[in-house]
Amino acid sequence: MSEKKEKKQSLFTRLLVENPVFGLYLGICSALAITTNINNAIGMGIAVTIVLTLSNILVSSIRNLTPNDIHIPVYIVIIATLVTIVGMVIQAYTPSLYSALGAFIDLIVVNCIILGRAEAFASMNPIGPSILDGLTMGFSYTLSILTMSFFRQILGTGVLSLSNPFTNAEIFSLRLIPEGFELPFFKEQFGAFITFACLAAAVSAYKTHVENKEKSAEL
Amino acid sequence: MNLFTLFISAMLINNIILSKFIGMCPFMGVSTKMESAVGMGLAVIFVVFCASVLSYGLYYAVLEPLHLEYMKLICFILVIAAFVQFVELFIKKNSPSLYKQLGIYLPLITTNCAVLYVALDNITQEYSLIETIVNSIGVPAGFMLMLCIFSTIRERLRGNDVPEAFQGNPIAFIIAAIMALAFSSLAGLV
Amino acid sequence: MQTIVAILIVLVLVGLNGFLYIRNRQTPVPEGCENLKPDCAACGIGDCALRAKFMEMKEEEHGDH
Repeated sequence: MSEKKEKKQSLFTRLLVENPVFGLYLGICSALAITTNINNAIGMGIAVTIVLTLSNILVSSIRNLTPNDIHIPVYIVIIATLVTIVGMVIQAYTPSLYSALGAFIDLIVVNCIILGRAEAFASMNPIGPSILDGLTMGFSYTLSILTMSFFRQILGTGVLSLSNPFTNAEIFSLRLIPEGFELPFFKEQFGAFITFACLAAAVSAYKTHVENKEKSAEL
Repeated sequence: MNLFTLFISAMLINNIILSKFIGMCPFMGVSTKMESAVGMGLAVIFVVFCASVLSYGLYYAVLEPLHLEYMKLICFILVIAAFVQFVELFIKKNSPSLYKQLGIYLPLITTNCAVLYVALDNITQEYSLIETIVNSIGVPAGFMLMLCIFSTIRERLRGNDVPEAFQGNPIAFIIAAIMALAFSSLAGLV
Repeated sequence: MQTIVAILIVLVLVGLNGFLYIRNRQTPVPEGCENLKPDCAACGIGDCALRAKFMEMKEEEHGDH
């Protein structure tokens, strides 16, 4: 029973400490720019997860065929093709999401997470673990930008709302802060940086807490 | 559009770091000392300018006549990667002093969001060649300006008593927040 | 026909990239520049060449003190 609790604890810890956005500072360009509301965050998170998983699968399946010298341009072509396809799908089926995310769909190509995981993990491991790694990293990225947009949307507009990207219909809309008392600077650049700094500091504090606990457990 | 307005807008008003959040990764990494900031800034200006003009030429000379506009992402990123390798090769052979200043930062620029963003933006905004040139110099000039200002602030902050959780990158983001607030006052200028 | 041209363009660019990459690896770093240590530990990409050199530099500093 306690073993299960330990395992659950370590999953949560790993999610925070090895967090690609707040722990490793990868992919911060998109994390700051599109987190103004939850719709964008979910859309971007799903797009990155799909591209990451598919690119892990492809890179892992050709890992024995690519000569070691030119593996970087080959991975770049794979990722760029996937991003072009995903971009076209988003433009066709969810045009509101496409206009909200703007240029950041194309910039998924240079998102450090994807090329980093392709080089560090998928090029050396078989397909199964690569799929799991892609899904895990994508999930923790989505969770991070979801947290950030949660804070920014509630504090910036006072309303927590979600709408269906395919049909533009509103799923729910909840006003949490009374009209006129919200802080509009959270929708702008200043708020983005402040929210990111506070969340990064929280993760850093948790990291030191975990390290201190491990050190005292050893002694 | 007036070229001077375009330059000021690209460099200061719609600053790529403080206003559009693009190019943050090397910004956080290479901005702790002034010398590295200057080296990185010059490398970025050179690469962005040349790669954008090359991408522009490739798009309008090859991709558009053949109706292959959807290939622009793949082609641009490959052109940028090839150009960075070429520049590093050229500098290694011909100018060791230049390599000492900015050679080590060149591999970092391939995956810099800023280069790909400027190359794509020139096409999206449908600029002419001269507007592309002005935009492709203005945007990385703004990047270098922010990098230098940032590095001087971070150097001053080094001996100070920053709370433990905020040490390293989080305090840098707080500094960026205050700078963004200052530069957002220019928003209505153009 | 168009897809063939597209694939050809991509192959030419990848070939150019590979060629320049290999030539770059083969050219030695000019003397005086072998031990340039960049100042970069911002993100967590474990594979980055700059980060490896920065970590080496950090370890040397710790060894001296």
